[in-house]
Amino acid sequence: MRMSRRNFVQSAVSSGIALSFARLAVAGAIPFDARETLPGRRNAAIDAAGRLDGVAKVTGAKLYASDFRADDMPGWPSKTAHALLLRAADATHVYRGLDLSAIDGALAPDAVVTAEDVARIHARTPDFYAGDLFCPVGATPFYLGQPLALLVFGDFDVFDQARSALRDAKFAKYGDETGPVESPSYGAFRFTRVGGPTPEAPDVFSPVNDGWVSPGKFETIRNMERPIWARLPIPTGADYAKVAETGEQIRAELASDNPALLVLNQEFQTQSVDPMFLEPESALGWYDAGRETLELVLGVQSPYEAAESVAFMLGQANAAFRPKQITTRFAYCGGGFGGRDHTPFPLYAALAAMAFPDRPVRLANSRFEQFQSGVKRHAFAMSTRIGVDRATGKIVGFAADHVLDGGGLANFSANVATVGANAALGVYYAPKADVTTFAFHSRGVTAGSMRGYGTVQTMTALETLVDEICEMLPLDPIEFRRRNALATGWRTLAGNPYIVSVRTPEILEKLENHPIWRDRAEAKAHAPPGVLVGTGVACAAKDYGSGADCSLGSVAIAADGTISIQCDSVEMGNGIGTAASNRVAAHLGRAADEVATARIDAFGPLGLVTSSDPYLISQWMQDAEQRNPRWVPAISSASSASVGAHVGTHAAAEAARVVFRYGLWPAALDLWRVPRTDPRAQAWRQALWKDGRLVMPGLAPLALADLAARAHAQNGVTAAMTHGFNRWSWASAAFVVDGETWSADIDALAVRRGSGDFVRLDRTAVTFPPTDFNRIGTSYASLCGTLVRVEVEKATGAIRVARGYSVLECGRPLAPEIVIGQAQGGFAMGVGYALLESLPPYEGGPGEGTWNLGQYLIARASDLPVHALEVEVLPPVEPDERPKGMAEVVMIPVVPALLNAIFDATGHRFRSLPVTQPMIADALRKGAPR
Amino acid sequence: MKSITVTVNGVAHGPRNVRDDLSMNDFLREYLGMTGTKFGCGAAQCLSCAIIVDNPDGTSETSPTCIVPAASFDGKMIRTVEGHARNGELSVLQRAFIDHFAFQCGYCTAGFLNEAQVLLERLARTPIARADLERTIAEALDGHLCRCTGYVKYHEAVRAVVLADPARYLRTAPP
Repeated sequence: MRMSRRNFVQSAVSSGIALSFARLAVAGAIPFDARETLPGRRNAAIDAAGRLDGVAKVTGAKLYASDFRADDMPGWPSKTAHALLLRAADATHVYRGLDLSAIDGALAPDAVVTAEDVARIHARTPDFYAGDLFCPVGATPFYLGQPLALLVFGDFDVFDQARSALRDAKFAKYGDETGPVESPSYGAFRFTRVGGPTPEAPDVFSPVNDGWVSPGKFETIRNMERPIWARLPIPTGADYAKVAETGEQIRAELASDNPALLVLNQEFQTQSVDPMFLEPESALGWYDAGRETLELVLGVQSPYEAAESVAFMLGQANAAFRPKQITTRFAYCGGGFGGRDHTPFPLYAALAAMAFPDRPVRLANSRFEQFQSGVKRHAFAMSTRIGVDRATGKIVGFAADHVLDGGGLANFSANVATVGANAALGVYYAPKADVTTFAFHSRGVTAGSMRGYGTVQTMTALETLVDEICEMLPLDPIEFRRRNALATGWRTLAGNPYIVSVRTPEILEKLENHPIWRDRAEAKAHAPPGVLVGTGVACAAKDYGSGADCSLGSVAIAADGTISIQCDSVEMGNGIGTAASNRVAAHLGRAADEVATARIDAFGPLGLVTSSDPYLISQWMQDAEQRNPRWVPAISSASSASVGAHVGTHAAAEAARVVFRYGLWPAALDLWRVPRTDPRAQAWRQALWKDGRLVMPGLAPLALADLAARAHAQNGVTAAMTHGFNRWSWASAAFVVDGETWSADIDALAVRRGSGDFVRLDRTAVTFPPTDFNRIGTSYASLCGTLVRVEVEKATGAIRVARGYSVLECGRPLAPEIVIGQAQGGFAMGVGYALLESLPPYEGGPGEGTWNLGQYLIARASDLPVHALEVEVLPPVEPDERPKGMAEVVMIPVVPALLNAIFDATGHRFRSLPVTQPMIADALRKGAPR
Repeated sequence: MKSITVTVNGVAHGPRNVRDDLSMNDFLREYLGMTGTKFGCGAAQCLSCAIIVDNPDGTSETSPTCIVPAASFDGKMIRTVEGHARNGELSVLQRAFIDHFAFQCGYCTAGFLNEAQVLLERLARTPIARADLERTIAEALDGHLCRCTGYVKYHEAVRAVVLADPARYLRTAPP
């Protein structure tokens, strides 16, 4: 069901249930001054630099959803009940019901929720999670790990013993074998582009100009639905027929026997992996039947979505299961990597609380359960074909076919497919390209959002194929990349140019001149006895943003000059609070004293309303809706898609600009005794902050505290609150402030004067990005190049990553140390993905609930060149270049660079992931092809 | 059931009856409400749950808590992440972790902090040669998993603490 017009006030209404969001204060008695360990609050006495949340994290403060219990929550009953979610370990036989004989008697649960209960109470499944919340008796589980029942225990010790007893028990009864459940696929799309005679010329044909298309026709092959990509000799959709005809022509050209062309085909497969954030999903809920209020503590990347989904689920339930109000608090996340974006976990936590009214209930995954149920990275099967002109070394044509295993629920499979397809050309320009992508349902654990989002798969295939082309042409790999790099203004596969800096040449130059690359032949020649040495290179361009990103932020300055920031972004380790503080500091002279994240509750004064779906809304409807000065295309979005720096800090930065312009600057003029009629009164853009003081030529520097005090004294703007919306371009609007027109990349603004209340300022004009920007695919991208040196032991195939170097560009880094840390972490995750991590998709895989970190190997420090890993960040192209998302791009080139290095060392090209020691040993045993 | 008393960060907890199979992790998190010690895998593979056990002979060691019964800690003295700072003063190691941006999400931090603290105390008792420092740190911390950072800054932070006080942690000459 599509939500009706939504009002975003402190108590929003969704599905007939009032939603409110409250701040989650750090709770519990901690043996340290609680004030000093609050996350997001600096403390001068401690005088520690680093992250805003640093002190809290090294002192064990309660921060994460898994830390909170009932007695931590003010006003809640003190005792915590515990819930256990039983999941299906079989998806090919009919489910015949529960067998709880292992926990009868004293270990029996106090409440049980099954599919039958969900149907009885009329709980609804939100569209995004379409599929049964629980497998009904008599049906075959839709996927491995599908919930069967929720058990609630009032006492911890009973719960603890029951979960132990059930761990080894066959608690689910199964009947006849049916085979896996068939279900419609999640999406099939075709992206076909034919450029003009030069890269700068208009396209002949492109998805941006001619629309995104799906084939519309499917056939069933071996009980599996597959799209028919060919143009059928029957009247199919005209749009698809045209694309198919163009695409087939591109493929025919690649298949033609043209000696001037080097055409290579490659089959490549990637595996399913787990985000493996270290804190398993956890939540706390309490349904206060007397107040008819459901209270939740969640740790998710998409807080607004989680609250709305719970409200939708219970919105038409029977009276006893339909709260009048839902109050949601959001905790820090112990890692995310996409895996906490649109997770169904909050739905089950809410059901557990509703099923055991008046008692706070905690639902927390064990690691086994997290592997069994947490969203996974999609396994891809890819077929790629590149045609390169032998004389020029330039790509003339590209074609690829991607097939994604989406697992049990749709989740983001269609989006991952399209993002992966649009990234299939990496950093390169191809005048002609045709890419099909298809995401299908399977009985595997649901795949969804994860760092890289389809692109690490497609660019790994591409960059290893490029390495192969360079070997065959032959052409130096960096020279090949230089000749084929997509330049500023040239069009991507979708037919759209990036609107941000594209710095591939600089990155290639850095790579080319780095000792790892420069000395690669020497390193190979001087390999120790019994060791093969290889060097690999790869580059990646990763989009950031989702095409409908929102930013909510407010900045307030107190009379004593202390600065506080609130934003709706979620802190999951990415340092969003620190980044927001640093970005605001550029406008207000110093770092904030307090930053509160995940505060989707704090923006009531904006009075925002929305309607429809920002991805699907028509231009006509957007034009009509935007006449309401409170309307925005979307209110709050997930902290994902590497939007932290670019989007997550945007609204706070814009709020800071307003505070400066209409609060601190008038205060400065007053202190300087510069009259408003003086031309210098309009020169606010020339003012600079230096050592915490505002500096203007010829005028005395002013301390922030003095400015703040004067701003308060003269009732100037001392706080501002803004909302921004980005659809590959920021919405912009005009507002009247102090009799002047203020234009900025925001669509809503409220200000506070002195110590008063926030007052909304209705916009007087607004421009939202056109709705057909939804075809763009992306217009923002960051780039990263990586070099790796590997050493392979001939006798065993053991591989050591000896050295690494990554060079990236991310605009203006807001927190440089955190950027470096993210790049180092991305390198580690890349090593894990390339060499270690793998989950069998179905039987024997995580869906059976038996996987843990003993089997699933992620990179340890000893797998990494901890003291030989260099990260270089290119300085911004201009001092105020906007920050660019970089948390994903830093992982991607590591994977193909490793495979290319392994080839350089061993002469073997591996075309599936991960490349494990036994695989290398086997290849070496069979003999290198050269 | 067994009656146990455990001294946590210098404070005695107990005697308290616990089930024989109650894990130390649950004792800390569910019974004492001390959630600074994390639960990561329940299989002693990630060590985000590690705490410090102070032995009677003055030595210390880390122990996972997720698979170890609480009863086995009866009579023992342990330290957790909540006990490193004293009187509002962060420990040198805590400060180094912050200054080096050692962690990101921070969920593994308690385990790394405890392991590195035990290492520092061991080095203070038995200094090592400078040439062995990186390897020693790597060996000490390698059991701990971190998904965010790539480990570099953790290792650098510990190394910085040692190098800031070489007289305490490093041998000046070969034995």
